This record gives sequence, C-alpha cells and structure tokens, in this order.
Amino acid sequence: MTTLQAALSGALIGGLYALMAAGLSVTWGVLRVINLAHFAMILLGAYLTFEIASSWRIDPILTVAVTAPAMFVAGATLQWTFDRLRIAEFTSLLLSFGLLIVAVQVVSNIWSADFQRMTGSVNPYATRSVSLGRLVFPVTTLLAFAFAAVLIAGAHLVMRRTFVGRAMRAFAQDRTIAAAFGIDHGRIGPLVAGCAGASAAIAGMLFALSNALTPATAYEWFGIVFAVVILGGIGHVVGTLAAGVLVGVLSGVVSVLVSPAAAPFVLFSTIVLALLLRPQGLFTAGGTR
Amino acid sequence: MRWRSVVAFPLAIAALATLSLYRETMGFPLFYLGVLTSVLFWTTQATSWNILSGYSGYFSFGQAAYVGVGAYTTAVLYGRHGVNFYLTIPVAAVLCALLAAAIGGLAFRLRSLRGEIFALLTLAVPFILAALARINSTIDGGQGIILAVPPFPAGLGLFQDFLYLISLLLAGAAVWVAYAIQHSRFGWALSAIRDAEDVAEGLGVATFRYKMLAIVASGAIGGVGGSIYALQIGFVTVESVFSLTVPLFVIVMSVLGGRSHWLGPVIGAGLVVLLQDRLSASGLESWRLIVLGAALAVLVVIAPDGLYHRLRAQPWLALAAFAVVTGALWTSGVWGVPLDWILLGALAGAVASIWPRRPRASAPAPAPAVAEPTGTPPAAAGGVLVEARNVAKYFGGVRALADVTLTVREGELVGLVGPNGSGKTTLVSLLAGTLRPTRGSIQVAGRDISGLSPHRVAHAGVARTYQIPRPFGSMTVRDNVAIALMFGRQPLPLAQARRAAEQHIAFVGLSHLAGALPTALNLHQRQLLEIARALATSPRVLLLDEALAGLNPAEIDSAVEVIRRIQRSGTAVVIVEHLLRVVNQLATRVVVLDRGTCLADGDPKTVMSQPEVIRAYLGKRAHA
Repeated sequence: MTTLQAALSGALIGGLYALMAAGLSVTWGVLRVINLAHFAMILLGAYLTFEIASSWRIDPILTVAVTAPAMFVAGATLQWTFDRLRIAEFTSLLLSFGLLIVAVQVVSNIWSADFQRMTGSVNPYATRSVSLGRLVFPVTTLLAFAFAAVLIAGAHLVMRRTFVGRAMRAFAQDRTIAAAFGIDHGRIGPLVAGCAGASAAIAGMLFALSNALTPATAYEWFGIVFAVVILGGIGHVVGTLAAGVLVGVLSGVVSVLVSPAAAPFVLFSTIVLALLLRPQGLFTAGGTR
Repeated sequence: MRWRSVVAFPLAIAALATLSLYRETMGFPLFYLGVLTSVLFWTTQATSWNILSGYSGYFSFGQAAYVGVGAYTTAVLYGRHGVNFYLTIPVAAVLCALLAAAIGGLAFRLRSLRGEIFALLTLAVPFILAALARINSTIDGGQGIILAVPPFPAGLGLFQDFLYLISLLLAGAAVWVAYAIQHSRFGWALSAIRDAEDVAEGLGVATFRYKMLAIVASGAIGGVGGSIYALQIGFVTVESVFSLTVPLFVIVMSVLGGRSHWLGPVIGAGLVVLLQDRLSASGLESWRLIVLGAALAVLVVIAPDGLYHRLRAQPWLALAAFAVVTGALWTSGVWGVPLDWILLGALAGAVASIWPRRPRASAPAPAPAVAEPTGTPPAAAGGVLVEARNVAKYFGGVRALADVTLTVREGELVGLVGPNGSGKTTLVSLLAGTLRPTRGSIQVAGRDISGLSPHRVAHAGVARTYQIPRPFGSMTVRDNVAIALMFGRQPLPLAQARRAAEQHIAFVGLSHLAGALPTALNLHQRQLLEIARALATSPRVLLLDEALAGLNPAEIDSAVEVIRRIQRSGTAVVIVEHLLRVVNQLATRVVVLDRGTCLADGDPKTVMSQPEVIRAYLGKRAHA
C-alpha cells in the first residue's frame, strides 16, 4: 500500500517536473537554444509568488496574473537578444549558465539564502489533502498535476492544430526552408520563448505552493528536469509529461523501497543510461527530432 | 619553442618558489601567498578542463567530479584511515583517470554524440557521485572529514609555504603537460577534432583514442588538484567539493583566458581569483558570483576566443593600460592596497585588449602561380583495388542502397552518376567507412574494410572529399594539408609534414594561399583544398563527392585539369558528378545508380546511350 501511495504521489509530483521541463524542451527543440536561464525564471516565479501573496494577502494562485506576463516578457526579451546576437545552441548554454548564476545570486541577496515559506494564512492549499480510501493526496500536488496536464495538453493542441503550431514545427525541422515559406523567424522565436517563460512562472508558483524556497533549489532542479527533457524527447511536450510521470514514480518508489537518499542516484543513472541508449528520447518514434 | 619547456618552465617555477622560500627575507606577506595558492589551484583545474574541453571542443560541466573524487580519496584514506598523505595523491590520480576513462568510454562510443549531450552527461556525473557519497555514510562517516596537517620537511617554513609549494609544483606540471600536448601531434589531433571531427577521422586521425587520452589526462590532473585541495580546505564535505561553482569557475577562466592556448587558463585563473578575492575583501562577497556570471555571459558574446589572442595581437596596448592604471593608483596612494591596484590595472589591460574594433582589411593575395602539369600518360587499368560486393544500406526502414556491386581497378577514373537520391553519396560514405553496410562486403586492396573505423580505412588507402567543403577553420591551408600527412599511413613530424604539404598545395595551385585561413578562400579554392588534403593521405583511391558543384565554367575547367593530373599520377578516382559533360570528358568508366541499384556499368559512350539510363535521367517520355 505504501508503495502504491508512493508511486501515485510520485506521478503527481512528476507533473510538476514535466511543467518545468516543457518550456525548456520546446525552446531547445524549436529554437535550438538550451536555456539554463529557464531555471532562473522558475525560481523567480516561485519567489515572486511568495512575495506578492505574502505582502498583498491574495490567493497565491492568482499571483500568476502578474508573474506569468512578467516571465513572458523576460523569456521573449532573452530570445530576442539571442536572435540579435545570432547565438547558436552551444553558446546559448554558456551564456544562460552565466545568467542563471547571476539570477540565483540576486535572489539570494534579496530574499537571503534561508528557507522561505508562505504562512498558513496566506497559502490555504498547503495544509489540505484529499483522501481516496487509504490513499492521501495533498491538494498542492493535485493542483500541480492538473495545471501541468491542462497546459501541456493545450500546448500539444496548439502545436498540432493551429497555424502558429504548424509554423513552429516547420521551424523546428528546418528553419531556412521555413523562412523561405514566409515564417517570420523574428516573431516566432520571442513568442515561443515568451510562452516558455510564462510556463516557468506557473511552475514556480506551483512549486512555491508546496515547498519552502531556497535559491540553491534552482540547481537541484537541473538534473531531474534535464532527465525529463531528454527522456521525453527534445521538443516533444507530450513526451515530457510521460517522462515526468515516469521519473516521479521512479523516485517515489525508490524512496520507499530503498531510501530517499538513493532516489537521486537511481534517477541520474537513468539519465545517463537514457542518454547513452536513446539520445532521441524514450517517447519519440525513431527519428531524431 | 623547445627552450620554453627546458629552460623557461623550470625558471618560472623557481622564481615563483623563491616567493615562499625567501618570504621572510623579501618581506612578502603571508596573505599574498594564500591568494597565489588559490590561483595555482584554479590554474590546475582550469588547465585540466582545457586539455579536453578547450583543445577538443567537448565542453564538460563535470569538473567537480574530479575535484570531489580527488579530495574524497585523500580525505578518506589520509584523514580517516591514516594512510600516508603522499601516497593518496597518486591514488587520487588513478581513480580520477579511471572515472574519466569510464565517462569517455561511454560517451565517445556513441555515434553522433553531440557537444550539448556530452555537456549534460558530464553535468550529471558530479550529482551522481555526490548522491552516492551521501547514501554511503560509511565513506565519510556522514559528518565530513577533518584533515590534519601532514608531515613535511621543516626547511620549507610554515604549512602555508608547504601548501603553496606543492600547489606550485602541480600547477607547473599541469601547465607543462598542456604545453607539451599543444605542441605535439596529440594537440594537432585535438584541434582537428574541435574543428571538424569526422573529417579528421576520415583523414586518418584516430579520434576516439585521442579523445580518450585527453579525458584521462584531464581526469588525472583534476584528481591530483582535488587531493591537494582537500588539504587546503582542511575539512571535506560533499557540498564543499562536488559544488557547481567548480565548473563555473573553470569555464569562466578558460573562456576569459582563451581556450585554444595553454596560457589561456593561466591568465584566466589569475584574473578571476584576484577579482574574487578583492570583491570579498571589499565587503562585496554577495556580488562575487553575480560579477562572475555576468562576465561569462558578456565574454561569450564579445570575445569568444578569449584574452590570450587579443593580448598577443596587441601586447603593448594592454601593457600600457596596465602600467597607467596601476602606476597612477600606486603613486597617488589615496585608495586601496597593492592587490587592488594590480587588479584594476589587469582589468584595464583586459578591457583594452577585448574592446571591439574593426578589423583592418587584409592585403589582396598575389596572383596564383599554376603548377605545371606532370606529363605522364594515363596509367592503364590494372588490378582490382576496391571491390564492393552486394552492398546494401538501410536507414531505419528507408532503403538507400539495395544490392550494389562495384569494382574499381588501379588507374581507373570511375564516374558515379544517377539522379538525386539514387544513393551516390551513401555509396561514397560506405567506401570511406563513415557508414557501415547493412549487408555485403567491401574490400580495399584485398582487405575487408566493412567493420573498420574510418581512420583505418583512410590508412588502407581510401580518401574522400565532402560535397560541402569542411576545412579545419582554425588552421592555415598549409596546416590543413599537413594534418593529413601527420596522421597518415606513415606519420610525419610537424615540420616535415608542413614541407611535404607545400607539394600537394602546389599540385592544386593554391601555393599563393598556403598561409591563409580557410575563411579567406572562395568555394572553388576550398574544394581544391579538400582535394589537396585528401591527396596528402597518399590514397590508392580518391572519392570525389560532387567536387565541382557550384563552380562556374572556368573553375570547372581548372578543377577538371587537376582531377586529370591526379589520375595520371596513378591514383584511382571515383567521381560523383551531375555534369555529364565532365563525366564523359574524364571517366574511363561510368556507373549509373538509380533508386539504390546499379543500372549500368561500362564505358561512358555505351552507358550514356542505354535507354534505361536516359529514362532514369530524363524521365520516361524522353526516350519514347
């Protein structure tokens, strides 16, 4: 029973990892930019939620009305800069690594390196839970999973059904040809990166609902989120959700059956194996990207 | 160049050693020695990183793995189990070398390993090791390990002196290794890998072996550095050694200093450590990482090649900036301590040399001197050189080649033609060993090559050119060709290879550009460079993959002349070409491919008049 509980809780937490990873995956797959600053945007989103909800006394979920547009602008501006400077995949990794370090230190200077958590009166969700028979699920993880599922399904539909989505996929496959068919590189890049930024803000809000915040968390996400991106297949949002759930279940079950300390070890070993055996992702059909 | 390794390195180390040995006589403050020790530690780490990541271009985010494993080896063996400290250093080196070999052995075996995947893979390694150390609290007792001061010769002075001297020895050794690698065949191989890996492999460079050597050297040096670092910090925990700031620091240092030169990481380490130390001393501790992260972001954009090359181009400007700023602060003496003055001077020098300015227009190259064609008559077709039998190649479910049989005899010039998508380039890649056949066998000079890696196929006597020329961007035309001679069947040392390269460059008529970088060449010249480079491997058979694509009629005529001379010199040639005029003019035999099968094979006139060939080329109606 505890194993089942752990697996289901893990799956729900996996939704949050998937949401964190989705933006990174899309910007990597479509725009060919490995944006480590995505973690900075999640972190900023989480801290802004904490700050706004605590000082304005509003429902923490409503803070995304402020943080999502802010991170949209941040993501779009960053992408606009990348495009202007003609920054390639690899350089973007280095540049955004620098930006991430700066952002984490700035957060640490403003909010200190200590743990920060919204008080019970500000965050009513933290203490509630839903029970199904003997299984208990905190409301925060249910919320996180629901947000992730809806957003990722929405993103998938947009990519499949709309003109913008088709343009993005064309752009991902061959940007020169796509440009020759009239897809405006200068507009689609910032748009996609902006949406990724907004998703980072939402992921940050969901993280802040259920966790205490410390600046170094940004580095702790690194491993899990990249595992999800790569396992899901770079640029495949639905694959990201599946991979997130898989990773969540795996860490949950290992934590219960072996020890919580063993979870990261199993997880990172999985990433290494995945990178070696299927660098194109577990949930993609053969071809690369 | 030799005097440096024999005289200059020991002299520099001796000079730096006197700072500690005669510290009291010179009145050199102990505090400065601490800063220098830190510079030396980071010099070692950045150099270790640079040997793999700077020279070969495979960026690693996993430097903390070596620091961590090295520090833990010494901490556990010496700190907990009382093993002799000096014995733990080689153990750390071996363990880290093994770790590096494991990472490289896994990663570099991957076909189509991309740089970003390698970077992420190495990013995961320190996390795994840190998690492992946390799980097994039997390793460090769960509380971290305290290291006592080990016994050292009394004549050295204080512990700080000992630490400084041992760090100096290690950093000196690391920099010397980096210097030696850069000035050897090994260094050239790594540069070729950074510029164009599969081209290097195709020219005979054993890329896997050199990458493994580089990662193992990097690991061993990093591990020894970590082992001494354990002593320096005195208290080893998972957090203190497996930290993400290690890769940040080494990457910033190497990018700042310059990655393609052994001196780059040294310059970077000096500047970054001094900056970090001064920021802490000025009470700006919380700004240290902000400044460093921002520096990385800005440098990647404005000076990706680093300080070293800028300094070398304009040493006096930087020196003047340094002298003016440091001198002014020193004489006025209103603010700061000497280290502040030196730092600000060095920063001024760095900014002066990095400051973007317009490059001067280069002088136009002198007129080409065309080499006289050698007048030997075409060699008659001889014994079988290449024999591909029933070769098939599938990409997943897509059939690129089904059952193709092709023989090339000595002295032949075979034209390989066929519509787009008929499998010509696939066949060339199979013959050159870049792809492995799904079925069938390929023999070159009686030797089966279908399982060999491309550099061995190159040694067996197959050379190819690429449809889109891929020169080594960081090397001159002469060195591009010299690489092929340095790693050929009979490897030549650099100086001889450069001399011999002149001959091949003259053969294709590029002598006037021998000292130019590939960016200065037009398409035609680049294609001639491809040919010269391929010829330098002294191939038995040369595969030319659309070497004339995109040329104007005059250029085509000159290229045709070069190809004819190659055939006269006795090398068999397979030419993939769409221009039937050229094929008819040159080829002694024509092979037509269509949708992965061999449609016709014979002398040009007969083949070109066959109805199936006309149909394949011009469509069904044309023949009717």
